[in-house]
Amino acid sequence: MMTSVPPRKSWWTSKKTVKVIRSYPTFPSLNAWEKFRGLLPVDGETNPGVGLGVEEGLLCQMVHSPEFNLFPNSVVFESNFVQVRRSRNWKEIYKASNTMALGVTSSVPCLPLPNILLMARVKWHQGQSQTWNRPSRAPSINLKSILPLKFVELQIWDDQERVLRLRTVTEKIYYLKLHPDHPETVFHFWIRLVQILHKGLSITTKDPTILVTHCLVPKSLCSPGGKTELVQKKSKGLQPSESLTHLMAQGESETLSQIFSDLHQQKQYRSEKMHINKTSSEKATPCEDSIPCTCDLNWRDAFMFGEWERENPSGPQPLSLLGTLAASSRPRLSLTGGNSI
Amino acid sequence: MTYAYLFKYIIIGDTGVGKSCLLLQFTDKRFQPVHDLTIGVEFGARMVNIDGKQIKLQIWDTAGQESFRSITRSYYRGAAGALLVYDITRRETFNHLTSWLEDARQHSSSNMVIMLIGNKSDLESRRDVKREEGEAFAREHGLIFMETSAKTACNVEEAYINTAKEIYRKIQQGLFDVHNEANGIKIGPQQSITSSVGPCSPQQNVSDIGPDSGCC
Repeated sequence: MMTSVPPRKSWWTSKKTVKVIRSYPTFPSLNAWEKFRGLLPVDGETNPGVGLGVEEGLLCQMVHSPEFNLFPNSVVFESNFVQVRRSRNWKEIYKASNTMALGVTSSVPCLPLPNILLMARVKWHQGQSQTWNRPSRAPSINLKSILPLKFVELQIWDDQERVLRLRTVTEKIYYLKLHPDHPETVFHFWIRLVQILHKGLSITTKDPTILVTHCLVPKSLCSPGGKTELVQKKSKGLQPSESLTHLMAQGESETLSQIFSDLHQQKQYRSEKMHINKTSSEKATPCEDSIPCTCDLNWRDAFMFGEWERENPSGPQPLSLLGTLAASSRPRLSLTGGNSI
Repeated sequence: MTYAYLFKYIIIGDTGVGKSCLLLQFTDKRFQPVHDLTIGVEFGARMVNIDGKQIKLQIWDTAGQESFRSITRSYYRGAAGALLVYDITRRETFNHLTSWLEDARQHSSSNMVIMLIGNKSDLESRRDVKREEGEAFAREHGLIFMETSAKTACNVEEAYINTAKEIYRKIQQGLFDVHNEANGIKIGPQQSITSSVGPCSPQQNVSDIGPDSGCC
């Protein structure tokens, strides 16, 4: 169950560490965001991210609550999803009262890109409106898992139906349909997020219209070769979340190559086992929300791509994930084949 | 639901020893023979009653695969209890205990209560590690020891609850500073330190379950 948390400052009131002169894109498709902004006083304290339910939402409140106290200084971008499975039409797997909260955050607030995926099961009260933006009565929300984003592939799977596909390195697959209560703008944010995770943030270093006055991360932290040399604090002085933060940022990169070789072994074992099962029963029953293992690990390259950008922030940093979304959010013009990280 | 304390547990050990199954059995009372490899952390929670106090166990099930080891280390801190699991049918998982223990000691509070678990006790015919070896290892390193079966649920409740009892005992003895978050203990909402941690006699009426059920 959730516990109350102290109110947090909105990202643009508390994190103005980089001075940015921002030119809002003029794509017609951006109008959703622009219109929403237009509804609010520009200099007011109302946070559109909160209004849309993608920031300081239930998932954020839970991970920042004293019960977990995880990534307390990092913004969480989140939404409410319905888990579905493929059939002629997308079919809900669970009862309507059960949804899934999906969010991304950073183990270290100054990282240019999020590196953590959060998943939580949400159980709504009977008859309750599942409005993610400040529901009158908080539903029951249980954190299910924390996944390093580098072990996850996120794809826009069905643009029309607003379905994301989430695939873990262990071949677990979820199809997640954005909750109908979320406005279209929210799905555009997810599209943009997938793009950003896949391609990186060009505005961090390349966009000449953005004036970045200083770098949040001292250059000395990064070796010329691009490998981070993290400054080690004495662990005794660290709070749990700090320790987690630093340790997570450390050493993750060494795991990928091993995982794929281990997985390959496991796949061989599984496929042998499946073969045995198949010959004995002549039918295989794939898991509801996962697909049969394939040997196609082309997306492995996608994991590798962007890793440096995510975890070795040597260049100028953006305001925050949502800051970048707000600055450059635009729906993709074509979504064929899906966009993935 | 309100609780007097929240204890953070971490489950560690080699891949395939049954960590996720131990969690599932404890939280959902069911066994799933085929389980996906855990990456990152999977969470579970359950209330238990110790000495009339409601205690919430927040359980962090970690990845055991060597490939994720560096990430797993980042989850130790702030744990009040650890379940260190090996598979009694796989000697190598027992041999790796020292390495897991080193990690646990290095990255967590020195007061963390560690329960050594020899899992898969239902597979007696395939036993590769004697019960006495587990007991000796636990004695040598100051751990509590139990053999369990996540499949039959034998001793699973006991493993979690005995760990909670030990943590609770340490709280009462003043060994745990409940205000220090790094100890993995949180006082529940609306609980004051005076009402929840009064001086108690050493002989506690620790309820919920009795001593080892002896099913394994």
